Amino acid sequence: MNEINEDTLHFLKTEGFLNEKISLQENDSLTETGVIDSIILLQLVDFLENKYKIEIPVDMLTPENFDTLAGISQTVKKLRTG
Amino acid sequence: MAKTTKTCKKCVLNSATPGISINADTGLCQFCDHFTPVTKEKKAEYRARMDALLTSPPQQGTYDVIFALSGGIDSSYTLYRLKKDYPHLKILAVQFDNGFISETALENAQKFCDLTKSTYLRLTLDQTALLDTFSKAARSKDAYPGSAKYRASDICNTCISIIKQKIIELAVSTKTPFIIFAFSPGQTDAPFITLTKPFLVWMRKLFDGNLKAMGVAERDAYLIDAAYIKAGSSEPQVTIIHPFLVWDYDKPKFKKECIQLGWIDPELKDHNSSNCLLNAFAIKNHLDKYHIHSYAYDMAALVRQGTMKREDALQKLAVNESDPSIKEVQQKLKL
Repeated sequence: MNEINEDTLHFLKTEGFLNEKISLQENDSLTETGVIDSIILLQLVDFLENKYKIEIPVDMLTPENFDTLAGISQTVKKLRTG
Repeated sequence: MAKTTKTCKKCVLNSATPGISINADTGLCQFCDHFTPVTKEKKAEYRARMDALLTSPPQQGTYDVIFALSGGIDSSYTLYRLKKDYPHLKILAVQFDNGFISETALENAQKFCDLTKSTYLRLTLDQTALLDTFSKAARSKDAYPGSAKYRASDICNTCISIIKQKIIELAVSTKTPFIIFAFSPGQTDAPFITLTKPFLVWMRKLFDGNLKAMGVAERDAYLIDAAYIKAGSSEPQVTIIHPFLVWDYDKPKFKKECIQLGWIDPELKDHNSSNCLLNAFAIKNHLDKYHIHSYAYDMAALVRQGTMKREDALQKLAVNESDPSIKEVQQKLKL
């Protein structure tokens, strides 16, 4: 698991959104596994923007970019190298 | 041997609530342990952005703002303050009648619309279907993600989601640039949300999934009309604003000011709502199902941010089992 995935998981655990019963794989849907909804998604976006000093354009808020750890990691990498 | 319940030294969350852990060294819950307050500079930045948006709204429809008005203290105060700070705004205030709004809340909403010269709209849906939906929400388990369970009860999450979907639909269909919700700083973290079509499609799909998990068969009436977000339709051009993340939040002061303006206290026995008769039952139902008080997270955040006294929050979290509305609602929902 890469650094971005670990940071995302840490955020979700710290904020109480992820309990020990859920074991997430990189391509698991965060919404279908009940980890996030649209409100938590915005909190996650805020966390990622602050953590990586990036700005996530609203038109990037799509399931392809934010519904899996793999998608989040790829999106953040893209914006960092932007 | 039974575990001892530990309560966070700073807020009101305790270790009996699933997912809450108290740090043995600091005596704080995980939220207080990692809490960073919003800086003055950030608040000033939010204020400047809200001023810029609301001072000269784009002229694209009949209204500048669609405002979600419950008739409770927070929304009544926000409507008044918005018109005080931005007198030119053309506001359509929407009160969602879920079948459990107190008569006083209906009266308060209309009174504040008159006071602020806002247009009043009472949004109603099929009341029998709504009752059945709330009943299904009460009987459901895990229809919403774990995170949502901390934010509100299953019943309130359903009601709030319907309001959001229908208000967004109204804003898109009337080309209104802003939607304003009077959520407290404990209920939301984002002062501004710019809506895009992909995000709306996703929001609609998620709520549709929640309703489906509850066993609601007829769901379209509760969701954004798909025609407004289908491929080829225009971009929404709508921004949601939460003013209580920009202004200081002081509920006792708001209540005093509202009463001076003619707001009437419905004096419900429920400590957490001044408008909805469904609320006390919804809290009890959530506690019974998940052992989570649906206002604990909200109150804890307000205490953490310094906008509510800890003892006031603890008092609000005491469940009044003898509230007669609990039994009344239970009968109405056929539970």
